[in-house]
Amino acid sequence: MSTAPLVKPRHVARSTLAVAGSLALPIAILAVLFFGTAASPNFLSVSNLLNVLTSMSIIGVIVVAMTFVLVSGGLADLSVPATVAMGAILTLALQPVLGTIGAFAAGVLAAGGAGLLNGVLVGYARINAIIATLATGTVILGVAQWVVGGVIVYGADPTSGNLLKGRIGGVPTLVLIFAAAVILGHLLLSHTVWGRWTRATGDSLPAATAAAVPVRLVSAGAFVLTGIASGISGGLLALTLQNARPGIGEGYEFDSITAVVVGGVSILGGQGSVPRAVGGLIFVQLLTNVMTLMGVRTPVQGLALGLLIVAAVALDLAVRKRGGA
Amino acid sequence: MTVPALEMRGIVKTFPGVLALSGVDLTVQSGSIHAIVGENGAGKSTLVKILSGMYQPSAGEIRIDGAPVALASPADAARFGIAMVHQELNLAPDLTVAENVFLGRTPRRGPFVDRKALHTGAAGILATIGARLNLDAEVGGLSVSQQQLVEIAKAYAAGPRIIVLDEPTSSLSEHESQALFGVLRRMRAQGTAVIYISHRLREVLAIADEVTVLRDGALAGARLREGLTATEMIHLMVGRDVSDLFPKHAATIGEPLLEIEGLSDGLRVHDVSLTVRAGEIVGMTGLVGAGRTEVARAIVGLGPRTAGRIRVHGHDVAPRNPAEARRAGIAYVPEDRKRDGIVPSLSVRENITLPILSSLSRLGWVRARAERAEAQGQARRLGISPPDPERRISLLSGGNQQKTVIARWLAARPSVLILDEPTRGVDVGAKAEIHAIIGDLVSQGLGVLMISSELPEVMAVSDRVYVMHEGRIAPPLGRDELDERRIMALATGEEGL
Repeated sequence: MSTAPLVKPRHVARSTLAVAGSLALPIAILAVLFFGTAASPNFLSVSNLLNVLTSMSIIGVIVVAMTFVLVSGGLADLSVPATVAMGAILTLALQPVLGTIGAFAAGVLAAGGAGLLNGVLVGYARINAIIATLATGTVILGVAQWVVGGVIVYGADPTSGNLLKGRIGGVPTLVLIFAAAVILGHLLLSHTVWGRWTRATGDSLPAATAAAVPVRLVSAGAFVLTGIASGISGGLLALTLQNARPGIGEGYEFDSITAVVVGGVSILGGQGSVPRAVGGLIFVQLLTNVMTLMGVRTPVQGLALGLLIVAAVALDLAVRKRGGA
Repeated sequence: MTVPALEMRGIVKTFPGVLALSGVDLTVQSGSIHAIVGENGAGKSTLVKILSGMYQPSAGEIRIDGAPVALASPADAARFGIAMVHQELNLAPDLTVAENVFLGRTPRRGPFVDRKALHTGAAGILATIGARLNLDAEVGGLSVSQQQLVEIAKAYAAGPRIIVLDEPTSSLSEHESQALFGVLRRMRAQGTAVIYISHRLREVLAIADEVTVLRDGALAGARLREGLTATEMIHLMVGRDVSDLFPKHAATIGEPLLEIEGLSDGLRVHDVSLTVRAGEIVGMTGLVGAGRTEVARAIVGLGPRTAGRIRVHGHDVAPRNPAEARRAGIAYVPEDRKRDGIVPSLSVRENITLPILSSLSRLGWVRARAERAEAQGQARRLGISPPDPERRISLLSGGNQQKTVIARWLAARPSVLILDEPTRGVDVGAKAEIHAIIGDLVSQGLGVLMISSELPEVMAVSDRVYVMHEGRIAPPLGRDELDERRIMALATGEEGL
């Protein structure tokens, strides 16, 4: 009684289905690695894998933030394409005035402001997140198109993207930025008061409320995070491409939600982690890469990803049901 | 003697670890109104759910008009002519009154709804039961009592052999209740068997022909209305021996810690005043819906508060949420442990430290060692089993989940602890442990306000008892004035507040 056991039997009572759920992702990633290696000689090369990693880095920053939205029980942020465009357009448009860093910061700040608007609508006004973010996203995109006038904004200083396109210590700069976002996001969710509050809010809103958790602030905060992350992604995208148009972030909302859901983060809130979401992103990107190398046509790729989402959500719901949570 | 419309013989219902009904008999004649009364948790709802096909009995027999039947589902029950009017309303809010009355039995002409038949049919039924409602109004826009009338019309429209009403008057005004009684009498005259569940004893005496009293899942008595008094019913409802299950701890009673004056929530709490002193366990009881939980929720800012003063240690406070209540020194352990208590996928440790996490952190970073020490200490203090704070709380037994939620609020080091049904749904052993913990807390100078529906618990543990009835509170009964019949009389409104 007085001496605590050294090895704690933490997982003894977990159901086999829950274990299957937690192992499914690493096994799936290994499987796609093996399959890809067998299917295409070009797959398992440093340059190909580094390419895959680089191409997922920009959306990866959004995936980290989207994890907070799902875990807090906020469903999804559909305004991502609009806030990405905001970050991208402002970064290039303000570059001549504020300089690259200043313009980038302004873009991120504006996108964070849009996120705050989402947060107030969802967290405080209690409007359904899908509807609220769809509405703000549509409005922001409309304004962007009106301001830009439907044309493309080009970078004023072509050299400003060089650092991003380069490498630091052999690792692409974008990958380093993504890695930093992953580490920060993971620490925030798993080691801070805010992270604990986020999980409690998503897991049981009434219980978290009664336990003195500031649930409205926490729900709102998740959308501020996706706003900021989208602003960063948009800025990086614009500087890398040296151009920005209102449609630049098209599909980023669904791609990031797909990654998070495939990573086993529950759409019902309360459960999930940043590493799992990133695992989901890696799996989806590798799978897409293999399919592309094998010459699978785009519609078929879409079909495969769609089935994958259904499978991930079904598994999550099954685990929840059996777990009695 | 004619064959009764309904006979239930030796009905037993067990849930894992709980014997909800232990061999209950119920006989209801055609053309009569039969009331079922009993304390909260006496088994009334379970019995009714078996009759409506929602629960399957573990043992026993059901006969309708003398023929044994199996009610495997609500659809089965409907086929045998059993109609239910539930406490929780079962209406489609976006459909009109007329559409709801015929829900599931909409008159048709070919594939289309026969609007004319729907309209005239619904109008006829509403007229029969004396409900004045606009047929084309959407049900979602009606008041709760109007919705209740639609629910009754819907049950009536099915032309039932047996109609069951579960607390039908809880949301009705006096006038509407009288109208409802008229409907019930009319149905009785047409030969329907009416089963009427209520804890308003005066109503029961006014309308019932026969009364069945349940107590602790067993039959306490079946009586004809004639010659029955409220006193006798109360005696049947509570007449059990108060055992020594709940030992009373003696603690020195000190200064007032929590003083509530004239608290109202604009809905179900009217002008409630109470005091909790240091070292004191104050019981608060009443029937379901009397407003006890609403008082607690209003105090800690989980529910609305339209009037009233709250003082802690003599200082005025006005918490708008549980975090502010915590800072004022008030902690609240909610009634519904599953919904408002545990955060199921967090561990015991994470559940315990949730309200005080900020104080266990530096710049938002949780200090893991300090957190573990706090959780470990509280878990040991309350004897949470298994003694592993890293376990997911959803894997613990009900009693240990409850101890964890109490531990959470002890970690916040409150002056006053409000416990709402702290032993509901926990086994006997854990119940005694929780009472020991409460006794321990007051001996350390805490004040405890314990809301409970269980009279033996309230009487054994409390220094003083407040009784609530329909949102109002009676002056407290001292320990030497505690008497089950007196409390029941206050709770049922037999004795005016």
